[in-house]
This record gives sequence, structure tokens and C-alpha cells, in this order.
Amino acid sequence: MLNIANLNLGFGGPGQVVAEATCSVADGQRLLICGAAGSGKTTFLNAAAGLIPRLLAIPYFSGDVTLRGRPVSTIARDELFGTVGFVSQNVEDQLWDLSVEDAIAFPMENRGIDRQKVRARLKELIDDLRLAPLLGRRVLTLSGGERRMVAIAAALASNPALLVLDEPTTGLDPEARERLSRTLREAAASVSALLISEQDPASLRSVVDTVVLLKDRRLSAPYRRDDVLPLQRPWREAGILPPNRTRSQRKPVDPGVLLLEVSGLTTRLARPDGKPVLRDVGFQIRAGEAVALIGRNGAGKTTLFKSILGLARIASGSIALDGADANGWTAARRARKIAYVPQNMRHILFNMTVTGEVVFSITASTATTAEKAVADLAATMLARYGLSELAQANPFALSARQLALLGLACADAAGAPVAIVDEPLLARDVEGRRMLDIFLSSMLDSGRAVMLISHDLELVDDVATRLVILDDGGIAFDGAVMDGWKSPAFAALGWAAPYATPRLGGVA
Amino acid sequence: MSRLHDLNFFVKLAFAFAVMAVAWLVPGWRFGVPFAVLCVLVLWAIGVPGLHGYVKGALLLTAMVMASWLVNLFFQGVSLRDALPVAAAMAARLIATTAAFYFVMETSSPGSILAAASAARLPPIATLVLSLTFGIIPMLRDDFERIADAQRARGMEVDDVALPTKLRFALARGVPLLVQAIRMAHAISFSLAIYGFDLKRNRTTWRNVGLMVEPRFPQKDTNNET
Repeated sequence: MLNIANLNLGFGGPGQVVAEATCSVADGQRLLICGAAGSGKTTFLNAAAGLIPRLLAIPYFSGDVTLRGRPVSTIARDELFGTVGFVSQNVEDQLWDLSVEDAIAFPMENRGIDRQKVRARLKELIDDLRLAPLLGRRVLTLSGGERRMVAIAAALASNPALLVLDEPTTGLDPEARERLSRTLREAAASVSALLISEQDPASLRSVVDTVVLLKDRRLSAPYRRDDVLPLQRPWREAGILPPNRTRSQRKPVDPGVLLLEVSGLTTRLARPDGKPVLRDVGFQIRAGEAVALIGRNGAGKTTLFKSILGLARIASGSIALDGADANGWTAARRARKIAYVPQNMRHILFNMTVTGEVVFSITASTATTAEKAVADLAATMLARYGLSELAQANPFALSARQLALLGLACADAAGAPVAIVDEPLLARDVEGRRMLDIFLSSMLDSGRAVMLISHDLELVDDVATRLVILDDGGIAFDGAVMDGWKSPAFAALGWAAPYATPRLGGVA
Repeated sequence: MSRLHDLNFFVKLAFAFAVMAVAWLVPGWRFGVPFAVLCVLVLWAIGVPGLHGYVKGALLLTAMVMASWLVNLFFQGVSLRDALPVAAAMAARLIATTAAFYFVMETSSPGSILAAASAARLPPIATLVLSLTFGIIPMLRDDFERIADAQRARGMEVDDVALPTKLRFALARGVPLLVQAIRMAHAISFSLAIYGFDLKRNRTTWRNVGLMVEPRFPQKDTNNET
């Protein structure tokens, strides 16, 4: 199906991103490419899907990429993208302001497929991926995980022969991951081959049959899935947290003063049935705590932190920050007490240099400063998170990993008592986890607190000191992490607890 | 009344042009001003979203148009008493026109425009231009609001400040808005390329299109197991 030989890719800087890559995907094969963040997976997949150099120019490209024996460069664009379905790591790059049904039907409509056939396929995909509750909504108003499912449905719509998915489980809750796995298994009847990149090799273990590791710009020889998943060394050497790792030791915590208190919060934003998205929500966060908030995609996690920040209006309830009633505060005043690190940092950047963003986090008014103390603090934060060399770079030119690190640097620099970190995806590899640990230590050791929103239950288990489960518009559980995994509220989610069973138990 | 939002895009467009023609043909401010007020009241009655923002913009537009016409006519030697009705009539025409096209823009999603144009078998280039022309402004306005929220979420006080400062901060959103507009253009062109948009091939649509455009895929057609 797909053959790649001696592929070299580079962006013009010192060294290549991918060097001498050779691999093939046969009909019926499901190949998983694993590598740390920034290892070149996305660039490699873009070339494998024919996007590079067809749609995305790159300064250095050499080697051969052939699809069914024909060089991709010679295949007409329409034929190429009718044969290859692609979902980007950053799904915002391929979605625009369409409704859910429009986005899924778009590839079929563009190819002039008859209306009844489009509707039949639309129904099939909506049922398979259980997207019915999202019908009629604009894709740009969906949560990250919901958007990804819509993009995957759109990629499947035209029954491509080769499906290329770049980190498809990003932002998906465990149930949605399982739904995706089931859909990809069922798609085997029409999709001849799968090429997937992931940082978490266990999440799609029931889908793939072959694994290749990307390390130091080079691809390893292919491993059989069942041979490599139980090992430790190949994953560690590739900078990835091994899928078969064991639970880490839990540090005892002694929570300090009250930093954030939410009481009886009910939102004005309502679901289609008229019920408020959040009803009578209450919890506290104290100094030294790392509180994990988990819940299904669309459960209202985003609405909760927007309400706390004052970006979404509330119908009733109170919010106290650092001991003071914050209900009458503007969003900006609240933000000086709560630093926010979103899943996609591009959503909150607006300065022209990396240093400017960090300085702005400190001053909350300007991106430039003549004050030595501010400049020194900004430089210290950039050094702490490995961004010194990018100090004068434009933030919009950074990679996803660098943006995530910039988010941590900004939140740390702001000095706010509480930081809300939404799905820190960089924590899925060894170096990223080390950076997140640095951030958590910096925050917690200085008497601050972190609220972590994540679907990565192993990460939650590893770093959280307390667990909060959001379900059906309210707090369904608030307590110790280990108690949380055994609680009825967690059981109601239908997710497997982390480390509860051997993580590879689901390998078929 | 929200059923009116689902009218075929071309019907809405024809209606907007008709309103504009009436606005410019009615004689003087005595008819023009009530007609403009009526247009805005209709927007309110049929529940057009974002009306509060539109009214603020319309008031600003009225003030600017009236001021510029009064100054212009003053320099031509026209007295204020004679100039005022002329300026009011001109402002009323613009308010009625913008109200009509605001209705079209706010109630027509890019998807519904694509559907109406595809069902009319328009050439793909016309389909694309229409959907982007009417769809891009709400998208950019949403981005403008999102950037303001980002400024707030980063601690920049954009609400509790004097009007000049508020305007300065709004202008400061220009650069990120430009960056976002470029990213949006890239996302649209990327999706057109990978999802098979071809200028030589007429599109189809999943929607039932007639006088009305089907707003969403019917739930009853799906297995609602979630």
C-alpha cells in the first residue's frame, strides 16, 4: 500500500527532523509510530500522507514515498486525498465554521456524491461514533475531544484506502478512546491500512498490529505489537513513558490555607434540554494541593473553569479567591489570582515574542519592561522550561510542545496562587513529564496550588493529591485519589481505573 | 419566528436587497426613519442573535453618518435646520440596509449557504465565495471576542477602564486577529484540499433544500444510544 524509502525531511535548521526513514504499510496492516513530543512524528506523517511537499512546503525533502506503487508526487491531488484520509494532530487546522453534520458530509458533498448516499453514510458515522448529541452544533464550539471525533468521522466518510491519524486520542476521554478503537477495528472492512502516531502506545493497543519507534530522527525496525508493549527499554530509549509501567509512589500532602472556594455554582449556559451545564457545584482548593478534575468529554469542565475565571456568566453561587469574595471581580482581576494554561496555548497568546508573553504574565499590562526584576524573572522562567533559545521567537511559530512549555512558564511566572492546567499533553513522554514535575514542584513548594484537568488517568494517578469527578452537571466525587478510583461516581463513568489491572490486559 | 432563520439563503438575500431598495426609494426622513426603526424592531421580533451588539454599532454608525453629513452640508452653506433631515434620511437608509444584511449574515451559517448554493447547482467557485463572504465576518467577530477573553484570562483589564483605554486595547487585538485570520484562511484552504473540493465539479448537499434549508440532521434518523 504505502512504501517510504530513505526519506529525509528538514526545516532548514541544523540537522534534519527525519533522517533516512524507511518503512512500509501493507494492505491490512495497522502501523503505530511512537515517539516523544517533538521527535518528528507529525512531519513524518505529513510526508507519508502526501501533504509534504504537496500542500505544505518544506525546505529539505528527499527520498521516495509511493502509494500502491506510484510516487505520491505523480498522483492527482483529488485521487490522492480520495485514497488517503488524514486527521491532523491539531484538528483546528482542518476544521472551520461548519456544523457537525456539514463537517462530516463535506468530503462526500465535494465529490458530488448523491444526497441519499451522503445521508446514509452520515447516519452510519453518527451512529458508530455516537455523535448524535452534537448534531446541529458548530464544530468550533465543541470541546477538543468532540472536535477530534468529528474530524475522524470526516476522514472516514469517503472510505479511504489508507487512513493516517496523527495522535488521534488527544483530548479524548477513555470511553471515547474505546469508541474510536472500536470504530477503527470495524473500519477494517473498508480501510485497507492504518498509519497512526501516538505518544501513548497503550491507548490504541487493540487497533494496531505493528509498532515503529521514532528516536533521534530515525525509525526503528518494526516490532510486533505483542512483543514490544510489555518491554521497558525500547520505550525509555525513545523518550516515551513505557505502557507497562507501574504506579509511582504517592507523596503525603499537608494542605495549607484555602486558596479557591466555589460554592453552589450554577451556570447560565444550559444544555439543549434546558438544564444548566453546571448545577450547585462546590469544592475547595488549598495551598500545596494538585487537584485533578476528570469527567466525560462535554461534561462541563471548560464551563467550570470559565465560570471561575469570570468568562462565563453564572446564575447563582459564589467564588472566593485567596480568602476574598471574587463574585464582583472582573475576569482580569480574577486572572491575577488564577493562571490558566489551556490545551491549545494559541488560544491565549497575543504578544509578538516568547519573552513578551512571559513579561505580560508578570505585569498583566505590557509585553515590554524596563524593570530589571521583571526581565530577570522572565529569563529565569524561560530557562527553567528550556525556552531560553526561543526568547525572541514569535509564539505563533512554536511547536505544540514548545507552546505547552511556554504555557507552564507563563503560569509559573504570573505568581498566581492557583494554576488551572487543561490537559497537559506534553506529559505523555519522559521529558514532558519531567517539565510538568518541575512546574508542579515550583507551584506546590511555594504554597500555591494546581488544578489539573485531564483524561490521562495514569497522569492523574501519578501527580494528583486529590480527585474531583464532574458528572451530570455536578461534583460526583471529591476526595482522595485512590478512593476515587473505587467510588460509585467513577464506576458510573465506565472507565478502567489506572494501574488497576495490567495495562496491556486488553491486547487481543 | 426562528423558523425564518432557516429560509433559503437566496430568499433571504433577495429579501435584503428588496429592503435596501425600499430604504433608498422612500422619500425623506419622515418615511425613512420609521422604516429603519421598523427594520430593527423586526430583527428583535424574530430573535436575530447578537442584536445588542448590532444596535450599538448602528447607533455609532448613525452618529458618524449624521455628523459627516451635517459638516459637509454646513460647508456648502446649508443651514442646520435644512441639513438635519437630509442627514437623518441618509442614516436611516444605512440602518435599514445594514439591518437587512445583518439578518442574512447572522442567520446563515457557511453550511447552510453551501447547501443552498450547491442545491442551486451554482459553480463551485460561486458557492465558495458566497459562503466565505457571508461566513467570514461572524467567524472573525468570534475570534475578536475570543482574543478579548484571552486578554482577560491573562489578567489584562479590558473592562473596568476608561473608554480611550478600552479602544486602545481593542486596537491591540488587531495583530493577533490578523494572525488568526491567516490561520483560518490556511485551515479553510487545507480542508478544501484534503476533502476533495474541486472547482471543476459541482457539489451536492446532505440537506433538503427548498424555500427552507434543513437546519440539522434529524435525530430520529440516528440510533440515539448515547
